[in-house]
Amino acid sequence: MSRFALIACVGALMAAQTNAATLSVHVVDAGGQPIPDAVVTIRPATGTSAQPIRFAWRMTMLQKDIAFNPHVLIVPVGATVAFPNEDKVRHHVYSFSKPARFELKLFGRDETRSYTFTAPGAVALGCNIHDTMSGFIKVVDTPFAGKTDAAGNVSIPSVTAGPATLTVWHPRMKAKDNEASFALLVSPSGEVSRELRLSLR
Amino acid sequence: MRRRIVGSLSAKLTLFYATLIAAIVVATLGTAKAGISGYAERMIRSEMVSGAAVFDRVITMRYTQLGDAGRVLAADFGFRTAAATGDAPTIASALDSLRGRLRLDQAVYVSTEGLVIGFRGTLAQREATALRDALEDGSTSGILTIGDRHFNATAAEIRAPVTIGWVVFANALDAREIARLSRLSAINLSPRVVPAAALSPSERSGDVAERRVGREDMLLQATPLATFGRGRPQMLVLQYSVTRALGEYAPILWLLLACGLTGTVLAAVGSWLLARRITRPIATLDAAARRVAQGEYAQVPVTTRDELGTLAESFNRMVDDVGERERQITHMALHDGLTGLANRVLLGERLSALSAHPASGRQHALFCLDLDNFKVVNDTLGHPTGDALLCEIARRLCDVVENGFVARLGGDEFALVVDDVRFSHVRFAHELIRAVSEPCVVNGHRIVPGTSVGIAILGPDGEDATTLTKNADLALYRAKHEGRGGYRFFEAAMDAEAQRRRQMELDLHDAIEHGHLFLMFQPLFNLSEARISAFEALLRWQHPERGTIPPNDFIPLAEDTGLIVPIGAWVIREACRIACDWPDHVRIAVNVSPVQFRNPGLSAVILQALAESGLAPGRLELEITESLFIDNPETTLASLHSLRNLGVRVALDDFGTGYSSLSYLRSFPFDKIKIDRSFIIDLLSSDGATAIIKSITTLAEALGMETTAEGVENAGQLDILRAQGCSHIQGYYFSKPIGANEVGALMAPDVDGDASSQTAPTNIRQASVTSM
Repeated sequence: MSRFALIACVGALMAAQTNAATLSVHVVDAGGQPIPDAVVTIRPATGTSAQPIRFAWRMTMLQKDIAFNPHVLIVPVGATVAFPNEDKVRHHVYSFSKPARFELKLFGRDETRSYTFTAPGAVALGCNIHDTMSGFIKVVDTPFAGKTDAAGNVSIPSVTAGPATLTVWHPRMKAKDNEASFALLVSPSGEVSRELRLSLR
Repeated sequence: MRRRIVGSLSAKLTLFYATLIAAIVVATLGTAKAGISGYAERMIRSEMVSGAAVFDRVITMRYTQLGDAGRVLAADFGFRTAAATGDAPTIASALDSLRGRLRLDQAVYVSTEGLVIGFRGTLAQREATALRDALEDGSTSGILTIGDRHFNATAAEIRAPVTIGWVVFANALDAREIARLSRLSAINLSPRVVPAAALSPSERSGDVAERRVGREDMLLQATPLATFGRGRPQMLVLQYSVTRALGEYAPILWLLLACGLTGTVLAAVGSWLLARRITRPIATLDAAARRVAQGEYAQVPVTTRDELGTLAESFNRMVDDVGERERQITHMALHDGLTGLANRVLLGERLSALSAHPASGRQHALFCLDLDNFKVVNDTLGHPTGDALLCEIARRLCDVVENGFVARLGGDEFALVVDDVRFSHVRFAHELIRAVSEPCVVNGHRIVPGTSVGIAILGPDGEDATTLTKNADLALYRAKHEGRGGYRFFEAAMDAEAQRRRQMELDLHDAIEHGHLFLMFQPLFNLSEARISAFEALLRWQHPERGTIPPNDFIPLAEDTGLIVPIGAWVIREACRIACDWPDHVRIAVNVSPVQFRNPGLSAVILQALAESGLAPGRLELEITESLFIDNPETTLASLHSLRNLGVRVALDDFGTGYSSLSYLRSFPFDKIKIDRSFIIDLLSSDGATAIIKSITTLAEALGMETTAEGVENAGQLDILRAQGCSHIQGYYFSKPIGANEVGALMAPDVDGDASSQTAPTNIRQASVTSM
């Protein structure tokens, strides 16, 4: 059921560093079209360092034009995400997702609520007032994470070489928990390139 | 009879109209049936199309309602919370509550994991998975088949905000629902849900298809139903029995048929009655015509004013006219056109009727009469006068006979049937003669009619008309024979005489052919020359059975029947033939009958006889009688002169008897006068006779004629005749008639002188000597 095909033409390019590599993944749907907002995470078999994970993007889920912005936000476990409202209307953000169940009841323009995500997983955000509003926060426990751009490309730098598990998640992916994992040997040569083909709902 | 009915005008008309109406009925029924059939089918098709559309809309509406309700529930935040948190009891209670409120058959929650909550009934794991797969495939509405039950199902996604499951609302598509659906169309289209696979391709096409089920023709339309998920495709099948639909029109058709049959029967009866009305007068006319043909009088009652009435009138008029003409013709056939009296036919009928029903105590007699000398009246006064005389006589007869019966038999013959009640027959005969003989003036001519009457008594003188008429005629003949102005009753002897005459007539006819006639010759002695100067040819008849028949017995008969003409011609020829062998100074004398004389062929006969025999005309002497001058002296004289011109001699025979007149002696220079024997017989007993002979001979001598005395039988007579200057004698004293073979011996010179056969010539010679 959760079919995803790894049409892998693996070409590993050695990086300058011998123990890390940059992983490039291209995600397409069954029709070969690029899929944006697919979250790719890599968990090295050796584990990750205990030090706090920091990403280059802000931990903010903005509500603007009756939509969550960004649509998908990757945050590390323990991160506190701010929910600023830039619309003129009020929003009532909620999540029934297991990793984080919360409600940010009726806050208005220029009001900001925040919530701290303590468990990894995908959190689906909705607004109880506006059914069309949908956003996702992917809580990850690895520093190697990124989401595909409009062209379906994501590049994760400095991935620890060695065996690892590559997990791809997308809110509409036809799979349990909307995600799929693959075993991956990250070569230390510096560059790993993958193309992933997903089935979407 | 049967054939007559079958071929009759009535039957033909009836059959024609009945057949016509029946044909119309059949055509009407056929058209009606075809029309009804077509209409019913069109109606059914139309109902099906519209029914299918209605069902489609209704089903769509149901789906919309269900879907709306499902979406409301799926959007409910509390329900979504319960679903997202997997709060099964809350979900089940919420579904329960909603099912009750919306009267749903099924309100089910299906999670994306395949968890099914709220299904009423048993749901196999396989079915649950199939349901979840269908939902995942995006099914939102359609026929959901669980086990053998069909549901109208809709699904609404529960999003929190990602899809975490579905709310499925479903209503059973069971008999109750089908019944509800079927009530939506005007006719019961028996909607049912059938797997598409169970239908034939043409039925699946969506068009109205035909199908034969048992003994019914069905129209069937299948509409595809949306299937929930990947279940077997189902179709909504509408069907209607054309047979049953037509069956509903059957009463109309039966009614039409009944009306048609009634109409046909009525038409048949009506046309029969009409035809009868038309043909009955024809039959009446036919019957009347048959009666008329059988001679009856028949009239047809005229009851209508139409053509048949006119025909009947014409028929009646025709019958009357024909009857009138028939009466005229009958009258003409039975009556004399001139006098109006009955004719011979009617007389016969009258006599037959009287004979068949004789009246007791009366004696009917038939009086036949004719007018004396009527021919003279006709010839001298003209036929109109003759006819007027006949009418006058007819009137007189009617007067005389009073209530008796008068008929004109033709010409101047009349017949009366009279009984002897008023007068005796004798007295009536006298009355009759007296009445007819009254002088009268007709057309300015005074005429004294005369009549003779023959009477025959009905019964004794004949039972039938033919015999009676014949006998009365015989009596009339006898009466006329005995002198005019008399009457005679019929006697049986007359009949015998008549029959004898008839037989003789037949025999005489044969005699000419068979050579039974022959001639005898009696010499005429010339006293001055003392020799035979001529022979008179005398006709004899040697009858094969009755022997020699004297001339007086058959000559009158030959004259009456006209046989005298051929007989006379034969006599002339035979006489000439024989006489040509005689000495030249011996003539042959032949008697010419008045009948023969009047025959225009006489001259030719004489010329032929002379030519054949070579006899000199001067040796032939024709003897005629005075009676020739009575009827028509001028014609007789002309004929005599033409005969004389042939060179033959003419002698006047039997001079002195009957109607003697000296004037014709002056008119015609006869060569000889033959003095009748009656004068000769009286010579010895009467001085007057001698004086007459003297005067005749003197007259003849003065006129240059010879005289011959006939019937000289003795010397005394001869002496007187010689003394009185008679030139010739003829008679037994000299010689009786002799055969032709004896003529030569008689004329031979007296060689022997004692020949006993020459007795008469001897006497003559002696007398001659004495005289000298």
